[in-house]
Amino acid sequence: MSTATICLHHLLEEHRELEDYQVGVPRWCKGCGDNAILAAVQRLCRDEGLRPEKTVFVSGIGCSSRLPHYMRTYGFHGIHGRALPIAEGIKLARPDLHVFVNTGDGDCCSIGAAHWIYAIRYNMNLTVLLHDNHIYGLTKKQASPTSPVGTKSNTTPRGSYLDAMSPLTVTLGVQNVSFVAQAVDWIPESLFQIITAAFRHRGLSFVRILQRCPEFVGNMFEPWVHDPQRMLMLAHEDGIKVSPALQKIYRNQVEHDPSNIDRAREIASSDDPIPVGILYRNPEVPCYEDLRRAGMLRTVGSIRSTLESEFDKFTVWP
Amino acid sequence: MNAAAELRPRGVPAGARGSLAAAKQVVTLDEAVIEIMSDSGEGAQKCGQSFGSIAARMGNGVWTVEIIPAEIQPPARSVAGASGNRIRIGSKAITNGGDEADLAVAFNEQVLLGRVNAGELRPGCIILLESIWAESPDPKIAAQYAETLARLVAEGYRVHEVPMEHECRALVPDPRKGKNMFVLGMLCNLYSLDMDLAREQIAFIFGKKSAKVMQSNVALLEAGHAWAEQHLDFGFRVPAERATEPQLVINGNTAIGLGVLASGMDICAMYPITPATSASHYLSDVFERAGGIVHQAEDEIAACAFAIGASYTGKVAVTITSGPGYSLKQEGIGLAVMAEIPLVVVNVQRGGPSTGQPTKVEQGDLLTVMFGSHGDAPKVVMAVSTIEDCFYSMITARRIAETFNMVVVVLSDASLATAQQPFKRPEFSEDWLAPPIDQTPVPEGAKPYDWDPVTGLSRRFVPGQPNGMHTLTGLAHDRSSRVAYDPEINEQGMHARSLKLAALQRMLTPPKVFGDPEGDLLVVGWGSTKGAIEESVERLRREGYKVSALHLSFMQPMQPGIKEILQRFRQVITIEANWSDDPRDELIDETNRRFSALAMLLRARYLVDVDCWSEVRGRPIKPGTICEVLRRRLAQEAPRP
Amino acid sequence: MDSQLRAQVVFHLTGRRGHDEAQPTTLAGLRPALMSAYRDLDSLRYDFPVILAHGDGDFAQSLSDAVDAALRAVATPGVSGESLRRRALKIEREIRRLAAHGARGTLLQLWDQAVAALGAGADEAFARDAGRARASLAIDGDVAHCNATLPARFVRHAWRAVQQQKVRAARVRIEQLVIRLENVLRADFARSEAGLAAPALQASFGSAHHGMFDFRAMSHLLSRGGSQSGSRGGLDPPRRRRIEDVLAALKTQRFFPPPGAAGDAAAGQGTHGFEFDSVDAALEAFSRRLPEVAQLLKALQVAELEVAGDYAAVLHDAIFAAFDAGSVVAQDLEFFPDYFVCLAGNSADEHARLTEALSSGVPLKVLVQVTDLVEEGVLGAGHLAFGLRASRLASATMSLDDVFVLQSVAANLLQMRARVERGLRYAGPALFSVYAPPDGGVLPGYLQAAAAMQSRAFPAFTYDPAAGPDLAARFSLENNPQPELDWPIERFRYADQALQAVTEEVAFTFADFAMCDPRLARHFELAPRAAWSEGMIPAQAWLADPPTDPGSAVPFVLAVDDADLLCRLVVDEPLMRAAQRCREAWHRLQQLGGVNDSRAAQLLEREKKAWEDAHRLAAVAAPAAAAAETVVAATPVAEAESARNPDVPYIETIRCSSCNECTQVNPRMFAYDGNKQAYIADLKAGTYRQLVEAAESCQLSIIHPGKPWDPNEPGLEELLERAQPFL
Repeated sequence: MSTATICLHHLLEEHRELEDYQVGVPRWCKGCGDNAILAAVQRLCRDEGLRPEKTVFVSGIGCSSRLPHYMRTYGFHGIHGRALPIAEGIKLARPDLHVFVNTGDGDCCSIGAAHWIYAIRYNMNLTVLLHDNHIYGLTKKQASPTSPVGTKSNTTPRGSYLDAMSPLTVTLGVQNVSFVAQAVDWIPESLFQIITAAFRHRGLSFVRILQRCPEFVGNMFEPWVHDPQRMLMLAHEDGIKVSPALQKIYRNQVEHDPSNIDRAREIASSDDPIPVGILYRNPEVPCYEDLRRAGMLRTVGSIRSTLESEFDKFTVWP
Repeated sequence: MNAAAELRPRGVPAGARGSLAAAKQVVTLDEAVIEIMSDSGEGAQKCGQSFGSIAARMGNGVWTVEIIPAEIQPPARSVAGASGNRIRIGSKAITNGGDEADLAVAFNEQVLLGRVNAGELRPGCIILLESIWAESPDPKIAAQYAETLARLVAEGYRVHEVPMEHECRALVPDPRKGKNMFVLGMLCNLYSLDMDLAREQIAFIFGKKSAKVMQSNVALLEAGHAWAEQHLDFGFRVPAERATEPQLVINGNTAIGLGVLASGMDICAMYPITPATSASHYLSDVFERAGGIVHQAEDEIAACAFAIGASYTGKVAVTITSGPGYSLKQEGIGLAVMAEIPLVVVNVQRGGPSTGQPTKVEQGDLLTVMFGSHGDAPKVVMAVSTIEDCFYSMITARRIAETFNMVVVVLSDASLATAQQPFKRPEFSEDWLAPPIDQTPVPEGAKPYDWDPVTGLSRRFVPGQPNGMHTLTGLAHDRSSRVAYDPEINEQGMHARSLKLAALQRMLTPPKVFGDPEGDLLVVGWGSTKGAIEESVERLRREGYKVSALHLSFMQPMQPGIKEILQRFRQVITIEANWSDDPRDELIDETNRRFSALAMLLRARYLVDVDCWSEVRGRPIKPGTICEVLRRRLAQEAPRP
Repeated sequence: MDSQLRAQVVFHLTGRRGHDEAQPTTLAGLRPALMSAYRDLDSLRYDFPVILAHGDGDFAQSLSDAVDAALRAVATPGVSGESLRRRALKIEREIRRLAAHGARGTLLQLWDQAVAALGAGADEAFARDAGRARASLAIDGDVAHCNATLPARFVRHAWRAVQQQKVRAARVRIEQLVIRLENVLRADFARSEAGLAAPALQASFGSAHHGMFDFRAMSHLLSRGGSQSGSRGGLDPPRRRRIEDVLAALKTQRFFPPPGAAGDAAAGQGTHGFEFDSVDAALEAFSRRLPEVAQLLKALQVAELEVAGDYAAVLHDAIFAAFDAGSVVAQDLEFFPDYFVCLAGNSADEHARLTEALSSGVPLKVLVQVTDLVEEGVLGAGHLAFGLRASRLASATMSLDDVFVLQSVAANLLQMRARVERGLRYAGPALFSVYAPPDGGVLPGYLQAAAAMQSRAFPAFTYDPAAGPDLAARFSLENNPQPELDWPIERFRYADQALQAVTEEVAFTFADFAMCDPRLARHFELAPRAAWSEGMIPAQAWLADPPTDPGSAVPFVLAVDDADLLCRLVVDEPLMRAAQRCREAWHRLQQLGGVNDSRAAQLLEREKKAWEDAHRLAAVAAPAAAAAETVVAATPVAEAESARNPDVPYIETIRCSSCNECTQVNPRMFAYDGNKQAYIADLKAGTYRQLVEAAESCQLSIIHPGKPWDPNEPGLEELLERAQPFL
């Protein structure tokens, strides 16, 4: 495309406000962390100037998965656990679309676990936001794969039995992983920074967002929310720069080079203090859609010639 | 001999001056069923298919079915290890695998036993048996051979021992690799096939290989021909009109692959499963050349979801599977129905339930496909009945899916998957292809589910279309795709999705009756049994019975006019390859009998007393079997409906 | 001073040959001593002949390289492959011989000729080896020897190779746009009335299934959709017209062969040609086609906007309505083929026009073939002005600044192929000035040309405006032998009378080059060994530092005769003057090339400093920026802290997680900012009670209620109590 045309394209970019990406009134509980994620995502769309008709939010089932309903973009509110394969189908068919996936700890790490592992392997250019509140909310409080052992819930009235799984270490353990980050809904500034970095990464960017559920596990994150020193801010010039304003509040900061996967895995396995920032990034990992679509131009001619040459193979002539 | 071959005019068998030439008389037949079996890897398959192709070029009707070993890697000379082909050739078009074999060629007696025990050979069947085993250094083998030989003779089979290996040794270093072409030569002689066509066929098969390979195979072919000429005092001819137009000789799964290509679908998402997979294998091989992609997903559910995602963006995708995979896809299919995302699902049926009989034919999925997915999930269901149908149904399915924003399930089965039947080479038309993705802006305020009150149709908006933004959902939703909580709207949606089937039904024509439009008995079938049913009906009509057949291609919606047709016959019976209770069982009566799927549907939909007969023996139903069933039925005096 | 020297001095100063009339005034059989080694070129493996390769990859390769590559591929190392190697090399030599004697054809054709000539018919082993080697030749193409036609063939071939790639890329771009635009129309048709008519519907089903459907009923029912709001839509007429126009423009453009047309670069029927033999013709064609250029550019841009769905009539209609030939900018032209001009000989007025044309910015790629470096001077007979104009043309053109300039002798073209290609790819005008002597000279064309470069008479250099901002980056003298010296110096070994091997360092000067030109015979006088004396000074020494007393010494150059006997030629004064001028011209080039040049050194110094400064700046800039950020980002907090007067209520907006708690308490008192984070919009819009309740309900405890603004609000004591933890 000639630069002239690019300019002409730019001519078109009208500016949008958050409201332009907002539709309907969120039906989440008072104080739900999903609101922060919604706000951050809308901010991303605005600041990256995403065209609403070229953007698709795909989700599964659960509180988190209601998010697409509140975006004035295309949305696909699918079925439980299958958001990822649906998003993959969308992306492979239409690489020109910006595809986001909103999924929950039940949706992604339990019923959709197989797809989660494979999504990492395919490494398609998707932005995956894991709303991890450590509990099933929509179905009214059952233990989720990420519930800390001992979590009392309707299915575990005497406390959950299993140690929680860590989405970070699992993801970092999968071949082809190319972007892993962690954010928390109660630091909206860094949440926004991290989601932006994730969006800009070419490949599957997996962002685990620790999210409060005041309704069912109100005190789950209390200690961290109220003691900024128990948050570990990951900073690096290739990663995220903690804004000075935040530095004032969150002083506990370490330098972490996102290209160092071993260090990333160590950091991932710590849940206190809670690491926030980009754990791992490798822009070199090839994207499945690029591998599969390399230089493909589908034309009537190509179909006709392929078909005829195949017919020839199997034709018996009189 | 070679020189002679050149001089000989076409059609006249080789070595017409062979020792037995005088004694040899050539019998003319309407049709013949031949089975060729060997241990896997000995090339009986290639031999059978070549035989079929040659016959096809001579204008014979042909139907070939693979004989697939039940095990992955059966030991040599094992009863379960038969690998090869059943070929049926006829003077007229052949529509099915036919009855028991008239002639069988076996590379060892054990694989033959498998077929004998399965009752696949007719009494007195001619058997050409490799005799090398008699002299096997291993006494056990020699004994087995002698014993089997004796048994076969005792049971009245006409066994001819053939020293295949000895004959081939002279021509190729490894006779095991050469026998199949030797056998092809024998068969060409026995069935008076054109040797020049046979040579061309070999040239076609080994074309890519060196001239040397080709020559040695031609030599084997001619040796086989000569041997049969000199040592076998019988021969047959199945006369036929030379074919006039080019024909495709492919099996059902290849036809499905080609159909996907010709329909303009871009993406096929699948997960390996027998017997559907070979369709995806074939696609994987050719699809990318035309800009398409076969995606092997992590599981059946993902394959379905992936296809739905791809379809959602504007162009119908397809997912190909078999029974167990279909069960796993059901939830996803429900989503596509609810959200009105077009989708083509191919189900190559196999024996069920559960893992059932992966390599065997059965028509057991009809009801699950029609009524599967929880809640009311109306989808279009088509059933293919010929190889040609496999090809065209993909184009039709894609078109319907896209026009109605519906799921279209195409039912094939294990017998069509591997069966070959020549059909007219299609003439590709660009109009078959899916239209490109529409990215034009949607009129302000237009709604994504603006259901037409009569047809239930609405125009879906796809990502990239300005003003079309909405969130598609599997939840009940209103015309704007907003989650619907009030009962009114839920019903509206149900109503619209259901109306679409009625609309499609109005666009269909009544099915054609095979035979007279009325009579004593109407045989109704669907899917791969078409050929066998219509052949047996034809036979019975020749015997004077007032029998007709009706074969359904659309299972949902059903074509119009069916009730009228049913009512014009005194009795109606379905013939299906799925389970139905036998009314003669002690505990079975009208009130608890479980009918075959189609019978159940017809009874429910048309209030006609439809009876059924079915078998689930994992093999295609033979026309002979059907004839017996129908004769019995006609013998009983049945009450007028 | 002995008489012979005197005679030589006289000759040197006056050109008169005193005593002996028998002196040869011809140079027949003589050649510069340094060339004694190159009597039989055919037996040497050197750059020529070259193969002007078809297809992609390197557009030219020397025969030797091609053969070596083939051997690497096919000949087994060690003795086993030896015979094959030997035979291949034999064939190579034969091909070289054939080419030198004017044989034309492709590599494979000449290969076969050579094999036949070597009588392979008889020798089966030979024929087999020949065949194997031939089969593994990686490239094929016309074989070109170093003669008068080489520059034109070589550069034209290179130009075509470059254009071919350009054309291919352009065609792909155009075809893709056509397909995608047609898709827009096809998609629209599917929903149109015609698309929903029975015939169209029927056509979209496979013939074998036509019987199953009632297409009239189908058409009737599907057309109902039209009544539903928005279920049609369709293209609005202006857009359809726009797309159809653009498609027409893309399909009828004449700059590139239409899809499917054979021969990528070769001008297909109706397609414009781009090769000219006069500058005027090229310029005329260029300006005549300018409107077409504008039309195609416009079509491309509209097409790209359309397929991306970005065309906004309100905005773009005006822009494109105004778009015409005048709107075309240089950078737009990169997409189109360039204009190739091949000029023969050195005609003065063409050169004048040339400079003018090159400065016009039109993407001309001009080849000037210099055939003669020696011309009669204005003073007429006898006075040879050594035609430096030809060699000046290139250096003069550099002053135009944005013109790519390459000067080279034919013999050096292969070495410079990468630069030739760069020049042809350069977005803008380019000049290629190449010297190739006319055929049939005393020396083989290759030696003659090589000598011109060696002797600095026609040095090789390139000026590449795209290579960087400064001369150092743009100008290159590479390929010239020993560019730091006045004249290249080589060791020359010979045997003296005593048959003792002697080695001396001999320079190759302009005078040595002149010796190769029979027309210049009169400037030399043969000095037999007997006449050698101290007074004879090698030309390079003479030029480096002329003798104070011209009467006492003469300059000479070394030559060898047919019998390879060494002799000295005394050079006359006018020729030495020419040599001096040549040396000065060379010095100027050296300066440009930064050789022995103080200013270049200074420049370098300055550049270096600038570079360091730049980096020091960058270093300090970073923190500065950060600091700036602080100022901006920190303000809310800063304010807050300064204003941490517990009496004034406020919210730590930056920490707000948009959870709606406070806005639900009182949407007028609490509001969201542009980032959906809460702040106190209107304190007086609510009660202190609401303020305190909000503070209590805020999970992040970022609401600080301060003191009530209305002292009369009921229940204050209790509220102040509750507000305490949040102050």
